[in-house]
Amino acid sequence: MDWKGHGWIALPIRLYIGAVFLVACWHKILHPESFAMDVATYQILPLGLVNLMAIVLPWIELACGLLIIIGWRTRAAALLIAGMMAVFLTAIIVALARGLEMSCGCFASQSMAEDPISWRTVLRDLGWLAIPLYVLVFDRNPVGIDGLVARLKRRKKT
Amino acid sequence: MMNSLNKREWLVVLRDSVALTALCAAAALLVNAVRPDGIPVIEKKEYQIYVPCPETLGKAEGVSPSQLRSPGAGKVLIVDGRSREAFDAWHVPGAVSIPFDYLMPVSADDLNRVASSGAAAVVVYGDGEDPDSGEELARELAGNGIRNVRFVKGGAPAIQKAGKGGAGLE
Repeated sequence: MDWKGHGWIALPIRLYIGAVFLVACWHKILHPESFAMDVATYQILPLGLVNLMAIVLPWIELACGLLIIIGWRTRAAALLIAGMMAVFLTAIIVALARGLEMSCGCFASQSMAEDPISWRTVLRDLGWLAIPLYVLVFDRNPVGIDGLVARLKRRKKT
Repeated sequence: MMNSLNKREWLVVLRDSVALTALCAAAALLVNAVRPDGIPVIEKKEYQIYVPCPETLGKAEGVSPSQLRSPGAGKVLIVDGRSREAFDAWHVPGAVSIPFDYLMPVSADDLNRVASSGAAAVVVYGDGEDPDSGEELARELAGNGIRNVRFVKGGAPAIQKAGKGGAGLE
């Protein structure tokens, strides 16, 4: 469990999932009204929470994407990313179960024809859920700022 | 598996996550408040969502007028999908009237009537136009779980023509 190799295995997948979240948040932050429409289309949240979700969620994606890349508060970022992926997965599965033919809304707002939700989307998101869970559970000494801080603390003690 | 982190470490992760969420929420709301294209935090007007309705139409096989009463073994329920007036003017003996409306779903009463008929097969005929109301009604019945639904190609005009021409409808 404490094998140091986990940190080096986790590094590329951290960079990958961080980049995915940075790309995902960009359009949502620039166009909150489009993202609010995407959120509303899922017909899961009550109307009063749709805009709040559309305003706040992309900023959490931005912060988590940055933090998991630079390796600062890595586990907190991984936990939040895992939580968001679980929410996205639930929303997509509910929409598929209801037979809704709609765009995923995961990245830029696209038409249904360009980015339709499907069970393939679910599989992709399951893969993206596995990454933060791996970081959370196995990456004891994340490569990055957390790792540097931990090393400095150990030096001070000795 | 999860015991690699002790309780204290988990608490730190949770604390950091909550703090990060709160900071992001504060920053997001602040930016939204000052940006010119910010949106209301609480929307009061319903969003106009354009999502295609789930497909309610099933598959129904077309049969010729001569196969009206013999599409398979067992009792056959014949359904007239035309308007009530057209049904009153002429219909296949024994047929039941379920007028098909393109804009309205088949009523639950009509579905129950078909489902509880005990028929092994359902044959629908309509006006024979393009699109044919019989075919549309047959597909809608199939989409609602009615099995062995067929429609007569050409609808009522084809049946009348086949009858006059001597083709057996039995």
